[in-house]
Amino acid sequence: MRPTIPAIEECEGSIHGPFSRRALLGTGAVAAAAGVPLVGRLFRLGDALGAPSKAQDAKILQLVLQLEYTQVAFYQEALKHAGLEGELRDFARATLAHERQHLAAVKSALGANAGAKPTFNFGQRTKSARAFTRSAIELEDIAVAGYNGQAANLTKATLASAAEIVSVEARHAAWVRAIAGQVAAPDPVDKPLTAKQVSAGLQAFGVST
Amino acid sequence: MDGVRNVDELLAAVDRDDAVAEARAQAETTSRQGLLGLTLAGAGAFVLTRVGGAAAAGVSATDVNILNYALTLEYLQASFYTEAERSGALAGKTAQAARVVGATERAHVAAFLKLLGSKAVKRPTFDFQGTTEQQRAFLKTAVALEDLAVAAYKGQAPKLQSNAVLVAAVGIHSVEARHAAWMRALFGVTPAVNAFDQPASRASVGRIVASTQFIVDKPRMRARNKPKFTG
Repeated sequence: MRPTIPAIEECEGSIHGPFSRRALLGTGAVAAAAGVPLVGRLFRLGDALGAPSKAQDAKILQLVLQLEYTQVAFYQEALKHAGLEGELRDFARATLAHERQHLAAVKSALGANAGAKPTFNFGQRTKSARAFTRSAIELEDIAVAGYNGQAANLTKATLASAAEIVSVEARHAAWVRAIAGQVAAPDPVDKPLTAKQVSAGLQAFGVST
Repeated sequence: MDGVRNVDELLAAVDRDDAVAEARAQAETTSRQGLLGLTLAGAGAFVLTRVGGAAAAGVSATDVNILNYALTLEYLQASFYTEAERSGALAGKTAQAARVVGATERAHVAAFLKLLGSKAVKRPTFDFQGTTEQQRAFLKTAVALEDLAVAAYKGQAPKLQSNAVLVAAVGIHSVEARHAAWMRALFGVTPAVNAFDQPASRASVGRIVASTQFIVDKPRMRARNKPKFTG
């Protein structure tokens, strides 16, 4: 059993996580992925992907890494500057702890070949509770759709790991909507996003690499 | 590719009668922050229109088996919300949420029925043991059922053979997680407890469902035991 919302300090650099690093490192997949030019721009994953392979998993995880980096940075900054109180603050704190664990798991799976941390310019998104709420919904929905969009491109083992994360992102999205008094699950099926759409969404959110 | 046509069918069948959209619109007009409605309008546009083709065409026996398992869980959820709505025991935000979630679960049932066609399992008979007749009991049960559905879908996703069915299944999986979080928020417990949600095997889901005694062989009679004669 994993701990229930552990202290934030405990999550930093945690090696606990669903991804099997061994599985990815086993075939030199990560080294192959490292050949993809990552530095200086958002990782762009071709949408015409091949059959699932460990090398492809590693490429996809680089995109997932950007997502998780963004979420961690967003909640960190919002907790400092958005003036969050009450339920919204509780939500942001718990979610930040989760995103840190997700980030640690993805980083650990990618090992030394994990892409660099992007830079962020969240603008007004982290400056008020109202903007934070709207932006958190947007970002969590991008994460859900991004993970869902890669389901068929991942090997079954990595899919199983990613599935442990995506439903938590969906819970975050519903949680913050419920706090805002919104319909917390507006659609009968979550529509997936392609990797390109996720990259574009992150860029629009103020993420650059 | 057969599968692509199948997922279109599956997705098209979801909310074909716009019941979810209607329930959502109704809930939104009464929600306290209409100003954020814009975000929702965009997200709500996911109702595909292409319908047609042979049911279950191109779906493997393995996938049909998994889809029937999912259908059973969707029957369970749909019947639970429908009965709770009809009982009149729910009020306020809980009643609104139950309407939206119920419409969604019914849309999931309709989608699976359409996809499976004649291969679909029949709806079991349910007895919700009074949990649809009182709001706290309803919420507690809703949390349990939604968390169970999330774990069940998660357990099956890597086993699906058709990519098209997989894409639809993961899209439903994350919606069940949203439901779980929503019901948890209404019940007053943490909507997202852990950083990682664990899957559940079919056997363990089966055991949990059996333990609820919600699925019965036939409608329950008032007197289950033979009367005792003492004289």
